[in-house]
Amino acid sequence: MPQRGLPDGIAWRRSRRMFLRAASAGLAAAVFPARAFAGGERPIRFGLTPVLLNTDLDLLTLLRRYLESATGHSIELVTRRTYQEITALLVSGQLEAAWICGYPFVKYREQLSLVAVPEWNGRPLYRSYLIVGAEREAESMRDLRGDIHAFSDPDSNSGYLVTRTLMFDLGLDPETFFRKTLFTYGHRNVVRAVASGLAQSGSVDGYVWEVLRETEPELVTRTRVLRKSELLGFPPVATSRAMASSPAIAALKQALLKMRDTADGRRVLHELRLTGFVEVDASVYDGIAAKVVKLRGVL
Amino acid sequence: MKSFRQYMRLPVVWRIPLAVAVLMVAVSAVISERVLDRLGTLQESYLQGLSTSYLDGITASISPSVLRQDSWEIFDALDRMKSESSDIVPIETIVTTNANAVLAASDPASRRTLGVLDDDFLGKFPATGVNLDASSERGYAMRDIVHQGRPIGRILAVFDAARLLEERRELLATLLLTNTALTAVLVLVGFLAVRRMMRPIQILETHMLDAAEGRPSAISEHERAGTNKETRRVFRAFNRLLRSESERQVLSRQLAKEEKLASLGRLASGMAHEINNPLGGLMNAVDTLRKHGDRGAVRKTSLDLLERGLEGIGEVVEAALAIYRPERLSRPLSIQDFEDVKLLLGPELRKKDQTLDLSFSGPSEPPCGCPSGPVRQALLNLLLNASAATPAGGRIEVAVSRADGGLTISVADQGSGMPEKSKEILTADATRIPPRSSDGLGLWIVRQIADELGATLSVAETPQRGSRVNLQIADIREEELVDVA
Repeated sequence: MPQRGLPDGIAWRRSRRMFLRAASAGLAAAVFPARAFAGGERPIRFGLTPVLLNTDLDLLTLLRRYLESATGHSIELVTRRTYQEITALLVSGQLEAAWICGYPFVKYREQLSLVAVPEWNGRPLYRSYLIVGAEREAESMRDLRGDIHAFSDPDSNSGYLVTRTLMFDLGLDPETFFRKTLFTYGHRNVVRAVASGLAQSGSVDGYVWEVLRETEPELVTRTRVLRKSELLGFPPVATSRAMASSPAIAALKQALLKMRDTADGRRVLHELRLTGFVEVDASVYDGIAAKVVKLRGVL
Repeated sequence: MKSFRQYMRLPVVWRIPLAVAVLMVAVSAVISERVLDRLGTLQESYLQGLSTSYLDGITASISPSVLRQDSWEIFDALDRMKSESSDIVPIETIVTTNANAVLAASDPASRRTLGVLDDDFLGKFPATGVNLDASSERGYAMRDIVHQGRPIGRILAVFDAARLLEERRELLATLLLTNTALTAVLVLVGFLAVRRMMRPIQILETHMLDAAEGRPSAISEHERAGTNKETRRVFRAFNRLLRSESERQVLSRQLAKEEKLASLGRLASGMAHEINNPLGGLMNAVDTLRKHGDRGAVRKTSLDLLERGLEGIGEVVEAALAIYRPERLSRPLSIQDFEDVKLLLGPELRKKDQTLDLSFSGPSEPPCGCPSGPVRQALLNLLLNASAATPAGGRIEVAVSRADGGLTISVADQGSGMPEKSKEILTADATRIPPRSSDGLGLWIVRQIADELGATLSVAETPQRGSRVNLQIADIREEELVDVA
């Protein structure tokens, strides 16, 4: 990794802080190395949520390297436990961009602007899966009464909103239908909870489940899909409206859209099992928006 | 008790190695018990330490989640622990509420979330420490999760104790094997050592038993080979004993023979007198025959006189021959034998002006079955002794009586009582050693005869201060008679 110029005072303090963090976080140093910047280039702080497998350190390194080389900016990948934290950072301008879920995008539509939307199997769409244990004899949502149910995150579309809307449509009382609900703050965790038997059913991102089926079959085969939702807008990369027209965001947008054109980019896409990033109209998220409207006053 | 008696009957060569074996087994049992007990304590404290550090770590990391009853976070923490160190992580961890409802378990499939644990399972967990259950090879430990001084839940951990128990079993097997081998070796060494130590004693025992059965033999040079100085001294002592015993026997036989000849000498003079007495009468009868032999009546009277005189001499000679060569008289004892003895003793009695009363009671011809020769000799000796003890003009009584299954010959004198020494010769617990002086040799011969006949001797005081010697002879069956003769 080339060192760009000498650190100034601020950068030195920054690097020391990063060093301390790295020293305490061990492996994290490889992913978030101390980084100096020069010539007025500001780093792009890019937030990640569990919409993708943000626990895979190799993948994060690949992504950062690609984005740095494609944008010419240093990239700081920021992860938080919950969607809400990332959304708050993004809305408040503390992140330049973030890969968030369609549900918070719809929620904060006024403050946010789309940068690019991933394409999975050639479409910027995905589904939410309702999963149960592989041996479970259940045929529909109604059979899940009395379950301990694992949700991903209260701000997740596929991991919460879709199932809550379905229950609303079926007239199921969320207070009593499930015996207990858990938030695991990660789609992979939902699969783990159901696979281990901690929860009897779960709501999970269909894309994550499918990717995991390929990368961790021993985990995923202990679960099965009970119900797939209709196609909904794929979790987008968004930025705050205030920053939407900044050169950094423009550079980021180009980097994402052109990812499939370079070897490094294709490696990242392959790891993510995505076909590319596209620019789409926000109407892709109308399906999610309709659910939000439906549940207004309920959630 | 019975087996102990059986044990005591075993030869020493086996008793000592067996005692060593029993001792070794006892010692090894005690040592094994101590070692296993110590190992058990060590293992329990090891497991205790293990469970404490595990429970400490897990309590710290899950307490906030337990407070929120967040099953996922608890499970996630337990699950992440699983991948860390296999040594410390138990095979099962369960986190419950205070009401024993499962919040999360390391294996939710077997412990259903929100399910309540049964009392049987909970009973395995001690309030403090670790419960090591040998049958299921599991260790059980429990910890309350306390937040701000109040219990908010509980962690139950089940540890795999199979390795610890396996260690115990292996140690036990090693101990058993080692001790068995050691015991076997010690028993063998004990057996060989004792056999070697006992060999001289066994040799001595064999020779002593042979000697007691009348086949004395000296311990040979060959048998003495390879023994130590002490043993050789004992062997030499035994051989010396053997030699002196055989010399003494020869001597006693010699003495007995001499005494017999001496008593015979005394008798011979008496006998000569006995023969001499009728001789005058006989010579007179011969003279009468020569002078008046033509007269029928005189001839007849003289010849009768001669015949009686010669018969008397013949009887005396016959009696003397019977004493000298008793083997000629192996015929059964009869009353005539007593008369013979009285006759033989006649000169001795007359010399001292003593009288001898011979009385019989019971059946007149008792089939005693005993040989006449030894009895005659014994009686003769007893009478000679009585005569010597009785003052001149005194009386000696011989009473022969038959009682059930035997004959009692009783000889009473009028002496001043029998000396203790003489009594001892007759009645003391058998000694084959002849008296040092010729005094009492006669009584010693009586004793020898009595022993050979299986008869018993007893001595009592008579009312007249004299002594009475009783010789009790049991009946002997015909077939035995031949052997004794």
